[in-house]
Amino acid sequence: MATRILRRTGVSNEICERLKRREIESCKDLLSLTPVEVMNAAGLSYEKASVLLQSVSKAIAPPFTTALELWKQHSDSCFSTSLPALDKLLRGGLPRGTITEVTGPSGCGKTQMCLMLSVLATLPKSEGGLDSSVIYIDTESAFSAERLVEIARSRFPGYFSSKERVLQMAARVHLFRELTCQDVLNRLERLEEDIISTGAGLIILDSVASVVRKEFDTTLPGNLIHRSNLLSHEATTLKYLAHQFNIPVVLTNQITTHVGDQGSAVSAEVDSSFVTAALGNTWSHSVNTRLIVQYVDAHQRQILIAKSPVAPFAVLNYTIQKQGICIDEKRRDTLGWKQISSHSESGSL
Amino acid sequence: MLGYVSWRDVLKKLTLAVTMQRPVSSLPLSPGMKLKLVGAGFQSTADLILLKPLQLSKETGLSQQEALEVLQAVRKDGGGGEGSTSLTALELLQKEEETRSIITFSSQLDAALGGGLPVGKTTEICGAPGVGKTQLCLQLAVDVQVPQCFGGVGGQVIYIDTEGSFLLQRVIDVATAAVRHCSLLVEDDEQRAAMMTFTMETILSNIFLVRCHDYVELLAELHLLPDFLSDHPRTRLLVIDSVAFPFRRFDDLSQRTRLLQGLAQQLVAMATRHQVAVVITNQMTTRLQGNQSQLVPALGEGWGHAPTIRLLLQWAGSRRLASIFKSPGNVDATVQYRITSDGFRDADQSEQPQRKRPRTQTDQSASSQPDRRLLRCLSDV
Repeated sequence: MATRILRRTGVSNEICERLKRREIESCKDLLSLTPVEVMNAAGLSYEKASVLLQSVSKAIAPPFTTALELWKQHSDSCFSTSLPALDKLLRGGLPRGTITEVTGPSGCGKTQMCLMLSVLATLPKSEGGLDSSVIYIDTESAFSAERLVEIARSRFPGYFSSKERVLQMAARVHLFRELTCQDVLNRLERLEEDIISTGAGLIILDSVASVVRKEFDTTLPGNLIHRSNLLSHEATTLKYLAHQFNIPVVLTNQITTHVGDQGSAVSAEVDSSFVTAALGNTWSHSVNTRLIVQYVDAHQRQILIAKSPVAPFAVLNYTIQKQGICIDEKRRDTLGWKQISSHSESGSL
Repeated sequence: MLGYVSWRDVLKKLTLAVTMQRPVSSLPLSPGMKLKLVGAGFQSTADLILLKPLQLSKETGLSQQEALEVLQAVRKDGGGGEGSTSLTALELLQKEEETRSIITFSSQLDAALGGGLPVGKTTEICGAPGVGKTQLCLQLAVDVQVPQCFGGVGGQVIYIDTEGSFLLQRVIDVATAAVRHCSLLVEDDEQRAAMMTFTMETILSNIFLVRCHDYVELLAELHLLPDFLSDHPRTRLLVIDSVAFPFRRFDDLSQRTRLLQGLAQQLVAMATRHQVAVVITNQMTTRLQGNQSQLVPALGEGWGHAPTIRLLLQWAGSRRLASIFKSPGNVDATVQYRITSDGFRDADQSEQPQRKRPRTQTDQSASSQPDRRLLRCLSDV
């Protein structure tokens, strides 16, 4: 990794000492310099400095593979959501090694989705699960263990018929309550150890938005950039963990109302105000898959696939029941373009 | 006296002078010239190495043409030519006609680009999240492999993924569709034979994939790429998706600018030296102007100078538009496209095979009025 110390990459002691005097100790420090600066700091000729850069690069550059090898290795690259219609659209389920965001208004079912996925992850592979633990980072204190058990019992009555199995499942969901931004960041930094020690196969962060919006008032100068940096940091860490362990990461987000004005690049046909996912445009780039949940009426809700590398835009109707999310297989609404534009034109704060 | 000469040139010439000294009489020149040289006191080639033609002609009484001839003869003997020779525009024209472009499978976009994405140049694709940047990159990674007898380049591709958006299932879909498309176009034996090597498995095997998690890994990988490109001379496309993500959170903006400029130079050098098309995707960032916020390409204003061609993918209502807003060889144009299960395609309903459709000018009816304000603001960037 970038923080690897130069000494351990095979660079000679003499050069290491010279660089240390200029406070260049890690590979990151060295590669952030221009070639002339490297020549200066290490006291080397141009050719020798190039050789040094090459050898350090070799030490930390990630290896190449081909798409064919990837295809051969990963037989199961998705995490099935146990909702056949959704799985079909997503070509298997939530893709491993990527970030999936579930966003929507409050009370719509985001936490329910997270609880349902937690149960699924603990199921054995024969039942369609990942047979692994779950790391659940809760920032809103919305996690309910009783609801978790209720979903498990109602959705898979055959499997969870004995109390033992239920307790086993509950023991595999590791809950971390983090209530401030700094706490969340610290937890993410240490998450590698937790993943290894618990054998986690799924990371859930519910929710990203609540702590951030509490602490950052974006009308104050400088806060927008600060918030963007924090979120980019979180996204980078999560993507790294997702990729290294080849596990899916699920996050929840909130929505915000964006009032259209002169400056936005929205055509005149759209309503002047619409809802869009919170946390801004930079965050929208950082997630790989985005699912939006929204209300139709008091009971009926919809789930939209708003951003996905494999799936087209689609709407599915669902309700929340005892066993969690239930997709209404028969109803298929056509996707109005209003709904597409509501998530795509994000420039909201 | 010498005029401005860079220290590296001096070093090079002195090295040559020390290693190769020959008497002036052994040079392949006319006797009259040799006489004048010796008469002026030049005994060996070492004396001539650091001179320029005007000075030589003054000291020896040779004409300027003759002085130039002498120095060229000396240099040729010395073994090392001067760095890069210049090309005439005519030679470049011939070279550019031979160089192919990588088609995008959207005939309107290809037409607007003059054939497709040019090999040997850098192209930037920027756009809002979810608009199709990665989809276009995946399409190009497959298109670059289309055999030459079908109008493609028949090359390999290096795909540097910094965001984790390279999804194998999608590549398989796009590849399968491309194979199907080409097999419908087979007209002769050569194409039939080429289809044997253009299958889904071979397409996957020609995509070299690497995942970089931060900007240091990206920089390290770029240091190693020239050797990789020399080892794999069939590579015709390098995709970096995206170059923005690892550079988004940077505390020291001036360092970021420096690093990005170094990176841009390396990419341009690789593009020309190894004849690859370099495609980089960029994200959008919010720029506040008074009370209004606008989306502009990320990475700062200086970055805009680096790529040769810049494409902006954007939404207009429910339609997806691709706008060319920087291109030395083409008019700024906007075309509509769509993303289908087969990949990146034209917005037309009919799915006509590419080759059989006559190339027309950019279809005015299909392109729409892009948001003028957004494009104007981008050209200021």
